Amino acid sequence: MNKYWSIFKTQVVNSLAYPGDIIGRSLLIVPFMWIFYQLWKVTFTANGTQAINGMTLHDTLWYLMLAETIELARPPLARTIAENVKDGSIAYLLNKPYDFMLYQFSNSMGETVFRAVMNAVMGGAVVWWLVGPPPDSRGWPMALVAIAGAWILHFCVNAIIGLAAFIAEDVAPFVWIYQKFAFIFGGLLIPLDFYPQWLRTLSSFMPFSSMIYGPAHLFVTPGLSTFVEVVGLQIIWIAVLGALLTLAYRRGLAYLTVNGG
Amino acid sequence: MLRSNLRFLLAVWKANLQSAMEYRAAFLSQVFGMMVNNFIYFAIWIIFFQRFKEVRGWGIDDMWVTYGVLASAFGLVSVLFGNAFYLSDIIMKGRLDYYLSMPRPVLLHTVASRMIGSGMGDFSYGFVSYAMSGQFTWDGLARFAVGTVTGAAVFASFLIIVQSLSFWLGMLPNLSGLAVNAVITFGIYPITLFDNTAKFILFTIIPAALMGAVPAEFVHSFTWQTLGELFLGALIFLALALTVFRLGLRRYESGSGIQVEV
Repeated sequence: MNKYWSIFKTQVVNSLAYPGDIIGRSLLIVPFMWIFYQLWKVTFTANGTQAINGMTLHDTLWYLMLAETIELARPPLARTIAENVKDGSIAYLLNKPYDFMLYQFSNSMGETVFRAVMNAVMGGAVVWWLVGPPPDSRGWPMALVAIAGAWILHFCVNAIIGLAAFIAEDVAPFVWIYQKFAFIFGGLLIPLDFYPQWLRTLSSFMPFSSMIYGPAHLFVTPGLSTFVEVVGLQIIWIAVLGALLTLAYRRGLAYLTVNGG
Repeated sequence: MLRSNLRFLLAVWKANLQSAMEYRAAFLSQVFGMMVNNFIYFAIWIIFFQRFKEVRGWGIDDMWVTYGVLASAFGLVSVLFGNAFYLSDIIMKGRLDYYLSMPRPVLLHTVASRMIGSGMGDFSYGFVSYAMSGQFTWDGLARFAVGTVTGAAVFASFLIIVQSLSFWLGMLPNLSGLAVNAVITFGIYPITLFDNTAKFILFTIIPAALMGAVPAEFVHSFTWQTLGELFLGALIFLALALTVFRLGLRRYESGSGIQVEV
């Protein structure tokens, strides 16, 4: 495992080498949070209520901050793997003394971590200024575990999409559609608590809610039972999607033909 | 001169389309994928307005039109002037050399030399979105087309201005991405959410209102004032884009990169 830890650390150090780049990218969360504040402030006022389905304006904004942090920190992994497949560089990575998938995982997590910290700092500062302090800090460690689970799930889905480049000319449409499903069924722009019951039920049967809603909900309403429920569901989905990824990887390698080099 | 440039533009666009159609399956999957992508994204607003009905008088029908005109304007720029998204990169890598060596307007030639296939999906989706708004009329469709063209002019100009800053500031991948994301994000939210200061920003620094809300208002009902705002906005931004690019070009340093562009 040492080599994967080294790959992870190398990528973190790479991110630190270009702090301006990361800060510039993290600025995107600032207008997002401001616009969400405008939208939900008007909505709560129009409803004439302090809470909608148990969520206050404060909860909603902190929920959205964490949801955006998770989403914006994700590197474009599917595109990277698809490029490796299409330009043939996968052949060079495969003959190295590491597992290709674990290499990609360590690499993408190294890229994700620093981005996430910067997004959380920028987004958190704006939301704190707009609606007040963050939720109870005792819930943060639980949310961190769930965030890690969300990124593992995201890795599995993106790697499967990237490997689709073995059989599809262009994987970009799959990425767009996956992202939008994650937006809707994951509750990225509207917390699932505000959805009609049938859509909430439908979302609960999909992995997307474990990728965004679960960790963000846990962050604003921390509790041991919620933690067990969110992480338990994540483990089930990681097992299912991990198995699918292993299958897709093996099938992909069977398609691969390396000519010379 | 104008006719000659127009003929040249048509030839470039034809070549771009032929090039894109070379990989027909990828092209079509991008077009249809983007249409599906847009529809799924819009579903967020359907969910929102089913639950909360309206935002300061702004309802789902207004969102269909706003989202539609913004998508079509974005798509039109992607299809016809796809290199506007990559101008900063072209400047920094010295690839303007190629366009400077040609007897055609440099900026026009540069930005028109690429077609982004998925833009066709955005462009088409915009019209579908308008058709589904419940506000469809034939004269409204004509106004939708006008709003799309002026919105596209503003968006292309905005891209050129932001990306031309590379002449002075160097590589700007994040600023460019931030600018595009900001204009799209602010463009698809109801303008009634914003106070006067924010609205001023949305007409000037981030001209999202000229791509979404104002064209949508024009589609809803014709007024000379709105038409004037659309054309004036487009002309001012076009003039600014040309000025900034020309000023920047004086600082351009050749990359000795004259090469065949395929």
